[in-house]
Amino acid sequence: MAKVKVATAWLDACAGCHMSFLDLDEALIGLANAIEITASPITDIKEFSPVDVGIIEGAVSNTHDEEVAKKLRDNCKILMVWGDCACFGGICTMRNLFSKEEILRRCYIETESTKDGKIPSLEDIPPLLEQVKPVNQVVKVDCYVPGCPPSSKAIHYALTELLEGRIPILPSEIMRFD
Amino acid sequence: MNDITLTINGKQVKGKAGNTVLEICQANSIDVPTLCHLDGLSDVGACRMCVVEIERERRPVPACTYPARDGLVVKTSTERLERYRRQILELIFTERNHFCMFCEQSGDCELQKLAYRYQMDNVRYPYTFPSLPVDSLSDYLVIDHNRCILCGRCIRVCSEIVASHTLDFGRRGWRTLVGADLEQPLGESSCVSCGACVQACPTGAIFNKINLYKGKTDECQQIKTVCPACGVGCELNALVKDNNLVRIEAPRLTEPRGPLCPIGRFELLYQTTPRVISPLVRGKQGELEECSLDRAVQVVAERLKETKDGFAGIISTRIPNEILSLFNKFISEVVGSGSIDTLDGESYRIISEGIKQFQNNGKGLGIECPIEEILKADCIIVVGADPESANPIVSTLVRRAVSQRKTKLIVIDPSRDVFPLWTDLWLKPRVGSEGVLLSGLTKVLIDKGLVVPEKTKAELVQSVGGYGIGEVVRTTGIEKDSLELIAEIYGQAECGVIIYGEELLKRHDASLVTAILNLANITGNQVGDKLRVISLKPRANSRGAWELGLAKGIKQDKPKALYLLLADELVGEELLSWLRRIDFLVVQASYHSPVTSMADVVLPSPIWAEREGKYVSMDGRVLESKQVLQLKDGLPQDREILIEISKKLGRELS
Repeated sequence: MAKVKVATAWLDACAGCHMSFLDLDEALIGLANAIEITASPITDIKEFSPVDVGIIEGAVSNTHDEEVAKKLRDNCKILMVWGDCACFGGICTMRNLFSKEEILRRCYIETESTKDGKIPSLEDIPPLLEQVKPVNQVVKVDCYVPGCPPSSKAIHYALTELLEGRIPILPSEIMRFD
Repeated sequence: MNDITLTINGKQVKGKAGNTVLEICQANSIDVPTLCHLDGLSDVGACRMCVVEIERERRPVPACTYPARDGLVVKTSTERLERYRRQILELIFTERNHFCMFCEQSGDCELQKLAYRYQMDNVRYPYTFPSLPVDSLSDYLVIDHNRCILCGRCIRVCSEIVASHTLDFGRRGWRTLVGADLEQPLGESSCVSCGACVQACPTGAIFNKINLYKGKTDECQQIKTVCPACGVGCELNALVKDNNLVRIEAPRLTEPRGPLCPIGRFELLYQTTPRVISPLVRGKQGELEECSLDRAVQVVAERLKETKDGFAGIISTRIPNEILSLFNKFISEVVGSGSIDTLDGESYRIISEGIKQFQNNGKGLGIECPIEEILKADCIIVVGADPESANPIVSTLVRRAVSQRKTKLIVIDPSRDVFPLWTDLWLKPRVGSEGVLLSGLTKVLIDKGLVVPEKTKAELVQSVGGYGIGEVVRTTGIEKDSLELIAEIYGQAECGVIIYGEELLKRHDASLVTAILNLANITGNQVGDKLRVISLKPRANSRGAWELGLAKGIKQDKPKALYLLLADELVGEELLSWLRRIDFLVVQASYHSPVTSMADVVLPSPIWAEREGKYVSMDGRVLESKQVLQLKDGLPQDREILIEISKKLGRELS
């Protein structure tokens, strides 16, 4: 049987969900027989090609995140999101309590250790969105694995369900938000 | 009440008229999810998690506020209801900050548990991200409005159980906030810091700021024990993880004796005073030096042999009966002096003398009523007592009576009104004239015929004291009108409770106690064979110690040597200056303090959580306290030390 093609991406995130995925340890060997990871921070391949399953970690925080989310959505049949940031917005949304200007000023000019700071404004740097959003407010999401990070068990459950041809919904006893 | 029969989920179940649908579901083990409901509080239908379908109702209704009727047909779980519940959860999550990863309550949160139950892995609505204040300036509590779901459990527990009425909703609609008084910071409000709201809060909106992140309920062992702080004897639920106290909760928060005070809930957790972890003996240079337990015990034993009769013993009444009895035996049999007292023994001698004058050969403290009587009272007189600082839960009961039963509250105190927000009448007799006032009151009651005739004969004469009303008014400075008003309120009350305490006992006048008992007696304020009189007792086992006969009093004006079994109690300035006059002082204590530094021998002692035994509450209930923490560093129990000393003297103590 041909391997299921998977691409993953992280947006505004800490990489914790991908670490949790790697924490699958020996279960990874079994998965490696069933799936092929194409573009991913793990393979360091950045351009998406069409895949069966796209996986996103992290919230949508700037225009780059938005573009990556849309590109991956366009290239996958099923989009799964990992972690509280992607599912709900999570810790990244703390900045939504302030305006974009306030945040940038605080970070680049007013921090106690900064002298003569200025807000970066190069074309190459993707501008922040006004608000940090969960992925489902930008593209259609098919399944969710919350957790901060989701446990390896939760990730394993979700991947296994997908391989069995079902859209996973985490059972209550595996679901965690922390 | 009449039985009613309902059909719930196709099954016939029984309930009582007056029950809500939720109550009947719970009584019949039918699971209905709730969030704003807390057993023992009124229901308000704020969260709508408990919605159920009822035949002939056009829309789902909250089970918690729906009165059950005979013949109702109820469904608690349908596809539509489950969909609504999940939708309600999603709306709650979008309303404020409910991101769990940086919340103290994560793992113990009812909102989070419900979200897991409904497998809420995403939210379909935009979040509102309001920026709400956090109030962290009170001593123990933090209110983080960002975590609040406006269920109102804190507000209801604050008014219905603690009767502090500090918390309430302020503002309107989605801007609604829980606020203290008129949106004062909690620390500057009428909040009594009892922490009932912390326990009632289903989320991380109100929490205890010092014990953050120490452990989740699931990770803790829960041990039910008794609060060592005062005579009320509240039941505590101690949560322990790795031999550390993580949290103290009220096991029956909404029952009369259920709520805790700041001492029971918080202060017991924060002992930062250095512990006595090694015996100390005063060396040749006059400095306290660490030594083995054997050597310390030897020094005490030798001194005991020399001093014998001159050796007295004083013990704290935070200590359970078993050790009290052993200490009593130690002083009377091993030491042989029988010169023994408790730290609060003087109070007892006044109270017991007062009771004796009222009713010789009676049943002593057994004449006093249980503190639950306060909740039934329609008149409460507080004379020379400050329940808020001495026995805060008594104060809670008084507030509850006043706010829920319109009980008339009368405070008699020369210097201050101890219930400033609650008192109906505050009488300020001149200092020292309380006795005359009580006699005057008795006289007015008799004159107005507000007494039980058969009880107002010979024994009354003594307490009236022969004062004329004019004299009473002149001596006390209280107007005749006020006297008459109080006499009417108390005399006509169905259930009048008198509470007295330390301030009154400071007058060292047993006849004041007699006068109070007399007042209750002539007005028929009796429940069974008890009078509706309550004396406040300062320590968890004051009554136990007194009834065991430990408050005999020190025989000598200045004993040659003294054994002070202090345990985890701290002593006041007055005792310190008396102790300075003693030649040889043995202090068995849990903490280093000015007393241990003036001692000749210091012995270690467990704190309340490290011992077990029986306490007797101020109203005579026998309570079993459990050991919550293991003693560290091989520290001995008090019993072992007393037995060792006795052995050195060739005596068996058991």
